Amino acid sequence: MASLSEEVLLVVKKVRQRKQDGTLYLMAERVAWGPEGKDRFTVSHLYADIRCQKISPDGKAKIQLQLVLHTGESTTFHFANESSALKDRDATKELLQQLLPKFKKKANKELEEKNRMLQEDPVLFQLYKDLVVSQVISAEEFWANRLGGINNTDPAVVNNKQEVGISGAFLADIRPQTDGCNGLRYNLTADIIESIFRTYPAVKQKYSENVPHNLTEKEFWTRFFQSHYFHRDRINTGTQDIFSECAKQDEKGLKSLVIQGVKNPLVDLLSLEDKTLDEGYGICTTLPSTSNANKTVKESSNSAIIKRFNHHSAMVLAAGSRKGEAPTDQASETSSTDGNSRDSDFFQPPVKKVKLQEAIEYEDLQRENRPKTVALNLKKSDRYAHGPVPLQSQHYTTSQDIINSVNYIRHEMMNYKPNLTEVRFYTAFLMITKSHNYQKETINRSEILHCIAVFLSCVVLVER
Amino acid sequence: MKLNIEGLLVYFPYDYIYPEQYSYMLELKRTLDAKGHGVLEMPSGTGKTISLLSLIVAYQRAFPLDVTKLIYCSRTVPEIEKVVEELRKLMEFYAKETGERNNFLALALSSRKNLCIHPEVSSLRFGKEVDGKCHSLTASYIRAQRHVNPNQPVCRFYEEFDAVGRQVPLPAGIYNLDDLKDFGRRKGWCPYYLARYAILHANIVVYSYHYLLDPKIADLVSKELAKKSVVVFDEAHNIDNVCIDSMSVNITRRTLDRCQNNVDTLQNTIQKIKETDAAKLREEYRRLVEGLKEANVARETDIYLSNPVLPDEILKEAVPGTIRTAEHFVGFLRRFLEYLKSRLRVHHVVQESAPQFLKDIFDKVCIDRKPLRFCAERLQSLLRTLEIADIADFSAVTLISNFATLVSTYSQGFTIIIEPFEDRTPTIANPVLHFSCMDPSIAIKPVFQRFQSVIITSGTLSPLDIYPRILDFRPVTMASFTMTLARTCLCPLIVGRGNDQVALSSKFETREDFAVIRNYGNLLLEMSAVVPDGIVAFFTSYVYMENIVASWYEQGILENIQRNKLIFIETQDAAETSMALEKYQEACENGRGAILLSVARGKVSEGIDFVHHFGRAVIMFGVPYVYTQSRILKARLEYLRDQFQIRENDFLTFDAMRHAAQCVGRAIRGKTDYGLMIFADKRYARADKRGKLPRWIQEHINDGSLNLTVDETVQLSKHFLRQMAQPFRQEDQLGLSLLTLEQLESEEMLQKITQIAHQT
Repeated sequence: MASLSEEVLLVVKKVRQRKQDGTLYLMAERVAWGPEGKDRFTVSHLYADIRCQKISPDGKAKIQLQLVLHTGESTTFHFANESSALKDRDATKELLQQLLPKFKKKANKELEEKNRMLQEDPVLFQLYKDLVVSQVISAEEFWANRLGGINNTDPAVVNNKQEVGISGAFLADIRPQTDGCNGLRYNLTADIIESIFRTYPAVKQKYSENVPHNLTEKEFWTRFFQSHYFHRDRINTGTQDIFSECAKQDEKGLKSLVIQGVKNPLVDLLSLEDKTLDEGYGICTTLPSTSNANKTVKESSNSAIIKRFNHHSAMVLAAGSRKGEAPTDQASETSSTDGNSRDSDFFQPPVKKVKLQEAIEYEDLQRENRPKTVALNLKKSDRYAHGPVPLQSQHYTTSQDIINSVNYIRHEMMNYKPNLTEVRFYTAFLMITKSHNYQKETINRSEILHCIAVFLSCVVLVER
Repeated sequence: MKLNIEGLLVYFPYDYIYPEQYSYMLELKRTLDAKGHGVLEMPSGTGKTISLLSLIVAYQRAFPLDVTKLIYCSRTVPEIEKVVEELRKLMEFYAKETGERNNFLALALSSRKNLCIHPEVSSLRFGKEVDGKCHSLTASYIRAQRHVNPNQPVCRFYEEFDAVGRQVPLPAGIYNLDDLKDFGRRKGWCPYYLARYAILHANIVVYSYHYLLDPKIADLVSKELAKKSVVVFDEAHNIDNVCIDSMSVNITRRTLDRCQNNVDTLQNTIQKIKETDAAKLREEYRRLVEGLKEANVARETDIYLSNPVLPDEILKEAVPGTIRTAEHFVGFLRRFLEYLKSRLRVHHVVQESAPQFLKDIFDKVCIDRKPLRFCAERLQSLLRTLEIADIADFSAVTLISNFATLVSTYSQGFTIIIEPFEDRTPTIANPVLHFSCMDPSIAIKPVFQRFQSVIITSGTLSPLDIYPRILDFRPVTMASFTMTLARTCLCPLIVGRGNDQVALSSKFETREDFAVIRNYGNLLLEMSAVVPDGIVAFFTSYVYMENIVASWYEQGILENIQRNKLIFIETQDAAETSMALEKYQEACENGRGAILLSVARGKVSEGIDFVHHFGRAVIMFGVPYVYTQSRILKARLEYLRDQFQIRENDFLTFDAMRHAAQCVGRAIRGKTDYGLMIFADKRYARADKRGKLPRWIQEHINDGSLNLTVDETVQLSKHFLRQMAQPFRQEDQLGLSLLTLEQLESEEMLQKITQIAHQT
């Protein structure tokens, strides 16, 4: 057997499968099982075919491991060696844990693609259920029609899965609750932590620097919520915590953003004024207090809040628009590398020209109104048109129903004896169909069926 | 299309026209025919600029001898560039229709910072630095030195321009700032000086107010512009403040210290020159004896725009003997400086008029009025003689000498206020001498006198009659135009109460009231849930906004708002605010939606448009009154009452309402645009406030929406937004607010159009 020449990574004896004792082999590319005393495998799965493994809970008498395949089938192994069953199982589990991810990447791309399509498109999924699961056509036939289309579309469209942005108020969602003994409890979910990391890369950096070795995760977050960084309205009195550096980094990021300036000349307040008055000229009704000394603590805390909101919003926005690319340290810095710096006249005019042209355009005064619309790309067209309607409530007719009803009608028609009232029936039928489709241009098959049914019931009534 | 405006053929570069544009052109034509001045108010976004340009260009072509030049003044650099682009569109239309290339020259002029192409100089960030550096490379004596010393750095672009640029006129065409730079680069000429030279023979000049209103600049740039010009001040609702700013001076202790240094430097330089080149000083003396005859001749023949700083009497006289020699003049400056220092050592606030000040200075240090008047001229002459390279360094002494000239020239219209400390911090000594102009007509008078037609126009000029009064001129036309609308695309609402019936107001007594602040917060919160895309909120002052934001933060209102939209806040730093603005637009653009908290009278409220989705609602929290405790303002109010019979309250309300109108007007930038205008203060309901809003806003406020609660506002807003979100096509407008040529020419429509202009 060719497969025997593969490297065997682990052999576990006394593993039962379907009440049969046997040996489990973990090899380089597959997991296999053969009954005891036989020289061939009755079970053999490529790692690439395995979607996941499941194990029985620790307290259970039977120590089992289940492999679930992409096809939905599963195979269960029962480790029956009394002395070392648990150890065997864990060894297997761990080895599989290492091996499976390696093969996952190689796993059938097409399958993933199919999965994705089904997940993203509920209509397709319903169709799939109707046709394939009810076995009207085979899965291959179904995909033969679909995948042709996929391969033709360009990859950009396929990968246009929108990343979910961050809620602007994620920090507001962390409401501290008193735990009854002079303490506060913060509830953090994985989502919130991810939001914090994406919005404040500096915190993420601190986390990866400190968490496994210096602090536990809990300590880290405790300190985070105690820090001046989190409570930005309090004035930093110079206490050293691990987040004071983050604040500085943020400040730096903000400054670099500010120095970089804005690309749209129409919103650049610095170059708005053509000729500013020289120092000393002009009326200054309220003199801006330039010296920091006479600024009260409250005032500077107020301006800290304002700064913080601007920064927070900018970071949330940046985190949302950072599509695909790995979250780099400072979003600001990456965007500054595109060469659109202030001084280079080479880049500026095009942006400026476009913005100016936009600004002076009167779209309704011109005759040729070019449609400047963006095509609406709906993921769930049903949701858009009808609002949230549970999918299963819709009545679908399977092809079997149609065939049955058509047969029935054919049968009825053959037995039907025409009489003088025929004309009236026909008009009745027309009226019924009309009354049903007055809003829609096309009738779907269930409606046809419905019309026919109504018509037939009319016929029956008249016959009587 | 080609229009017939009372016998004048006007090319209009669009296929359709708004009725109010036609009406606007009619009024404009009548003003030009009468060779008088006009005040015209037309809503923003109704194509004011293109109407102005179309008509005046047509007029220039039809009567080239009557109107030789159009001087178009606007406020900001982007505005200037927009005007030039619209003009380009018009000229392209002319070329297409007539098939001939006309020899029209139009250009924009801006400061060196926007026009310089010298690699080193243009990389400097601040306008003042660029000016100083440029001067140090192009001043005449620097260039003279180069003949002796070839290593002396000069600007090659200027040299090139000086050598050939003046002989060859700028070819006809439309030159925006970037086009000038391109042209300059191609030829190797300095675009700034090229533009300054070219405005003399250009048909259309577009530049900022300062080039005409600020006497210091106007004297350099605009003084030789032809008398038969039409001057347009666009966005002129704040023109009085520009005039006042250009004539006012503030002197602090720091200014005086720097001035002291300047005087010392002057003295040393004089000493040095005396040893090496005494002839130079003698030459200057001779020139001063000759007097300012040259300038006098020019003014008599009416070639120059007169400089209000340099009154006519001065020109007839020679510089007085007491300050004619350089040393005497420096000594004179020293005495003046010492006097100012002693005045700044006061412990209480002093307010006096210019004659009082002159009497005091004569009593104390025996300085006469006459030499003071020549101070500015004399200093310029000295600086030229001494070949001072970096003029920017001498800004302090220039300021002092300008002050001396102004204070001795005008006995009326100015006041002197010396404050030993700021009102908020009475313990810290920070003496300031304010020499403030109270009469805007002083700075603008030469413009009205010299040019045959001056048009003052803006989207918000209500009440119209106040402008001629404070600027002291007699217009031949005053008209306010409404916006003809096929659908009511603006929705002004006055919110007077919170849901708990607390009266909403930013008036001083309730400013700190938590109930009001909370209700304001609720309003913003609820609006953030119903308004799509962008909301802009304006506060009455920066301090007020800071306090409210802090208190909203403590009450958790801002957090709740963040669930709906991102929040951006204007700061006092312009660069930071620009960034916040760009992020705000980005957030509106990508569909997330955002709120911008901003300040009335700030840069955002004056210069930034929030078209379409960038501003679906504007909320004005409170009435943006100016800080009324300021002594300068009090003096000005007094002056207005005495001189122009304008009551204090009328002026304050007028000033507050024009700023409020500016703020809410930011949201509507055209007929396809739509937006809510929410006035969150019960005082807006009063007739004296409401009546001062522009007519095009006023007529959409119905009696039902004068004192709404927050809930009612939200309901009305929802309804309005839902209606506005329906598709709006050109056909819906056609015949009502948008006309084809045939429709325009129908008798019925012409009848209707006459009602659009509201004469006062």
